Amino acid sequence: MSTRAAMASSVRHTRLAMWRHQHVWCLRDSLRQLLRRPLGSMLTIAVMGLALALPLSFYLLLTNVQHLATALGDSQSVSVFLKPDVTADAAARLAASLRARADIDAVVLRTPQQGLAELAAMQGFGDAIKSLPDNPLPFVLLVQPAAGAGRAQVEAMVRDVRALPQVDLVQDNGRWRSRLDALVALGRRVTLLLAVLLGAAAVLVIGNTVRLDIRGRANEIAVQQLIGASAAFVRRPYLYEGAWYGLAAGGVAILLVLLLEGVLAAPVRDLVASYAGRLRFGGLSWATLGGGWAIAVALGWLGALLASSRHLLRWRT
Amino acid sequence: MIRFESVSKSYPEGREALIDVSFEVEAGEMLFVTGHSGAGKTTLLKLVALIERPSRGAIEVHGRNLARVRRREVPRLRRDIGMVFQDHRLLMDRSVADNVALPLVIAGVPREERGKRVRNALEKVGLDGRGKDAPAGLSTGEQQRVGIARAIVARPALIIADEPTGNLDPQLSEEIMQLFVSLRQTGSTILIASHDLALLKRMKQRVVVLDHGHLIDDVPASEVA
Repeated sequence: MSTRAAMASSVRHTRLAMWRHQHVWCLRDSLRQLLRRPLGSMLTIAVMGLALALPLSFYLLLTNVQHLATALGDSQSVSVFLKPDVTADAAARLAASLRARADIDAVVLRTPQQGLAELAAMQGFGDAIKSLPDNPLPFVLLVQPAAGAGRAQVEAMVRDVRALPQVDLVQDNGRWRSRLDALVALGRRVTLLLAVLLGAAAVLVIGNTVRLDIRGRANEIAVQQLIGASAAFVRRPYLYEGAWYGLAAGGVAILLVLLLEGVLAAPVRDLVASYAGRLRFGGLSWATLGGGWAIAVALGWLGALLASSRHLLRWRT
Repeated sequence: MIRFESVSKSYPEGREALIDVSFEVEAGEMLFVTGHSGAGKTTLLKLVALIERPSRGAIEVHGRNLARVRRREVPRLRRDIGMVFQDHRLLMDRSVADNVALPLVIAGVPREERGKRVRNALEKVGLDGRGKDAPAGLSTGEQQRVGIARAIVARPALIIADEPTGNLDPQLSEEIMQLFVSLRQTGSTILIASHDLALLKRMKQRVVVLDHGHLIDDVPASEVA
């Protein structure tokens, strides 16, 4: 390595070390400033934590509504109940004819015996079924529309099937499911909007706190600038302060969501049991919680950046 | 080290704080700037510290024309200047050691090195062992010593002080001025504004006299009596 390259490397190393020492000091100093006024800091953290917990809670709710919908039925499936007098051969022929249609992917034939066994397996129905003199259930065809079929195509197919003489009742599971999907999509949109609004509120809360802090430390800022502090150095402790607020508020929000999960655990267990375990209730994943926490830190930092960029200019000497 | 060449400074409201001022200060020299209130002493120091820019003329510090210094370069240049203020401008919510260490923190000096240099600076101003004290618990004279320790801790080539004894009684004023005289041994150039002519005479250092913005006298140390 040439002398010039060695010197350049040494200068870079020194600058990096200086930068690191400054950051460590700013990190400690910002934490010290927060701890100097514990009540005020805790209030700010609590407000921001509540604001962030709300969208996370809504997200938790929506995720579980989606699980519930999945547990209650496949999205597009159509249940075709045949008339009681339709024989096994006639039901099989009808299933085969439906399978030949281009707008149908698959047809599963369920015999009355299979239906009865399924009912018996469900909690609370066992004794009632034993008391029946004979099997009252009809043959059922579970029809899966062609993949990619639109709602209009599925409805046309349902109309055709409903008109067949062997058919007693057609239950279009896709209709209520599509309504539920639309409601969940609306809920997601509302949650997103709420998250944006509450995130903006969190930014404003932190921004205002940092603004007041900057005003209270005007003398310190002026002294720092007079003895050679760069604008970046002066601003850095406030950015860390915002990030600390975000970190603590993110922790509060996650604790609140976990608390909510804990409170809901017992009633949800009962609901799951009534669906013979087909229903899955889950809390938010660690990745989601971690992401929420990172966003909280970023929001705190952003609030501090906006406040410090605007208000530190006033004390430029 | 410092060269003023026909420097004038006027403010937007039309007041002329300095008019056609020229003088030079050699490296390691100690210079007092005196004059009545409003003579332009503080403006002169502000120009050296790049807090103000001249309206006309040229100022050179360390061979650098300050008129050509860009705004983003100002902090780096100020790090080469130790500043002492009349009202000390200490941070009352921090310890004495933290106040003194501030220029080193800004310069990115490692923690261990900072501790050593702070102890050394406090020792120079006669406050060794007082690092953990709160500034509010110190006397006015001690607070000014802390301000001086903060100004010298980063070993700047230039120290400027604006009325450093303005709030002190005569005995303390002389002690503080003697402290500045002793700091010359570190090789720093020292520029002090003071209106206390009697005190300056006892210091026997070069004195520049300002009157209504004009430099009316430049008395060498040997002629101060």
